[in-house]
Amino acid sequence: MFEINIALRHIKARRRQTTFSVIAVALSVAIIIVSMSMLTGFRENIIETTVENQAHITVSPKENEDYISLYHGLESFIREQEGVAAVSSYYKRGAAIQYRHNVEGAVLSGVRPVDEDHVLNVKKDMIAGEFESILGTGNRIILGSKLADKLEVGIDDTVTVSFPGSKPSDFKITGIIQTGTSADETLAYANLEQVQDFYGKSGIVTGIGIRVSDVYAVDPLADRIDRETGYDAESWMEQSSEILNLLNTQRQFVFIFYLMIFAISGFSIANILNMIVMEKVGEIGMLLAMGTSRKSILAIFLLEAGILGIIGVIIGAVLGYVSCILLISYTIPVPPEMYFGLDHLPIRIASENFLIAGAFSMVINILAGINPAHRASKMDPVEAIHSV
Amino acid sequence: MSEKNIIQITDLTKVYGDGVKIKALDNVNMTIGRGEFMAIVGPSGSGKSTLLNMIGILDTPTSGTITLDGVDITKASEKERSKMRNQKLGFIFQYHHLLPDFNAVENVMMPLLINGIKPTNARAKAHTMLKEVGLGERINHKPRQLSGGENQRVAIARALANSPEIVIGDELTGNLDSKTSEKIYELLRKLNREHNQTFILVTHDEQMAEKTERIIGLVDGKITEDKST
Ligand SMILES: Nc1ncnc2c1ncn2[C@@H]1O[C@H](COP(=O)(O)OP(=O)(O)OP(=O)(O)O)[C@@H](O)[C@H]1O
Ligand SMILES: [Mg+2]
Repeated sequence: MFEINIALRHIKARRRQTTFSVIAVALSVAIIIVSMSMLTGFRENIIETTVENQAHITVSPKENEDYISLYHGLESFIREQEGVAAVSSYYKRGAAIQYRHNVEGAVLSGVRPVDEDHVLNVKKDMIAGEFESILGTGNRIILGSKLADKLEVGIDDTVTVSFPGSKPSDFKITGIIQTGTSADETLAYANLEQVQDFYGKSGIVTGIGIRVSDVYAVDPLADRIDRETGYDAESWMEQSSEILNLLNTQRQFVFIFYLMIFAISGFSIANILNMIVMEKVGEIGMLLAMGTSRKSILAIFLLEAGILGIIGVIIGAVLGYVSCILLISYTIPVPPEMYFGLDHLPIRIASENFLIAGAFSMVINILAGINPAHRASKMDPVEAIHSV
Repeated sequence: MSEKNIIQITDLTKVYGDGVKIKALDNVNMTIGRGEFMAIVGPSGSGKSTLLNMIGILDTPTSGTITLDGVDITKASEKERSKMRNQKLGFIFQYHHLLPDFNAVENVMMPLLINGIKPTNARAKAHTMLKEVGLGERINHKPRQLSGGENQRVAIARALANSPEIVIGDELTGNLDSKTSEKIYELLRKLNREHNQTFILVTHDEQMAEKTERIIGLVDGKITEDKST
């Protein structure tokens, strides 16, 4: 183990120069950890929002059909499946809503409020009135906040709802909902039976929403429902495949930048090692004369790269962690439209990010040491001794 | 081959250069006995260092064989050569070549550690060696804190640490004044008598050479004289 002694002495004797390469490694690791934590946070946030604001699985009518009839049977079949947490059937169609001289297009969903809340957590988005209020007698409706603004209506106002080929009906507003998404401009909820009546289609629905217990294990379940019922069951992953693909592409892109940042710190390690090897030619010659094997010479300089690297990685990890904590604790003013309603940077401190950044940095640091170490191990002892 | 001979050199030739060939050693034959204290002399460029490097397994001959303690080193693997350098050979050069980041005792320990000896045992042995060369009090000094002569003593202690059969010195007093040189020679002579190790010393200094038991003269890569004193 004399190799590690020599490696440590070489580093200690050049504390000032080696400090620089350690700092380079530490900074690269810290920057990458912060960046990875932001990306992870951002990604999880988007997924969370996506998962939160849509049914995990949506069952739609069969091809060439507009409705799901006999939906009670289908619903109970789905409820029996493992991993299903809640099921909500709905009748959803476009409609026009009028209040005095204002007319707005809307998407009217007829739901059973308890079921719908179980699937989509709607209650927490209510900013006025109760979600269950649509169960009361008479035509009752809940409007999205922006839709209500455009119609210039509030709670207890009565609006007229119509769709082509139907006679307009009056609905009393019993609640306002705000999801924070663009849906607020068109959202309208009413009792399922009343909406079915309104469209003259009792006993059928246009879709079934499902909440599952494990959002990442959703695809096999969707496939099974699809296969066994013949209806079209699509998971949130399939529905959001575009944004998920985008996130994956972004990951690959930033990876190139990570490589470049690591390359810079790798160069600084290679640089200091080249310097030490150059300075130590005579010493290497003498070590060979004393019977040190070429493998040991290689080991000495690879160890130096490793030691500098590991110190840098540890400092970098601490620095990265502290930076993340500081960034999390700061509330950064961002336009809510931009960050999906976030008012701070979504940073997620995940241990795997530290492991990946550290391991990657170490691989690059050792790689950077290979060339100088190899050169040292291949020296001719006579020439090396004479070089002094 | 007699057991008495530690080194057997047969038809040793070394040619340097690809285009213009330089014959540094030309068909050298000689035997060196166990415990001999000898000098190699000759004009500059006569091949003294080349011969020493061959014996020290630092360089390989163009043709011919060298047998050290019964082993043909020209046929040995890289690993065996390293091992022999460590265990059978001790080197002292014109410059001390001590590791500057290590103190005296650590420098002397180095060949022992390379040999796989435990650090505590290595330290004890190194301390003993430093006492033998008269530096028992300065073991914790780094090379830059010691004089040229003192550093050369540390280098001698290091060369002898693994109790090698053969100690080779290439102009090891070349950088020292004549008084210090003389002391170093006396030290080597004393060590040679006490440990019965073979000493082969290259020197320009005729007076020093006269103090050895055997002088080999080299001219143009050939042995021109071999006299016992
Ligand atoms: N690596 C080499 N490449 C080419 N020629 C070499 C090399 N090493 C030695 N020589 C040549 O071989 C010859 C013998 O060199 P060597 O170093 O053995 O001489 P020396 O007797 O030790 O001389 P000095 O007393 O000056 O040290 C010289 O002509 C030298 O130029
Ligand atoms: Mg010479």
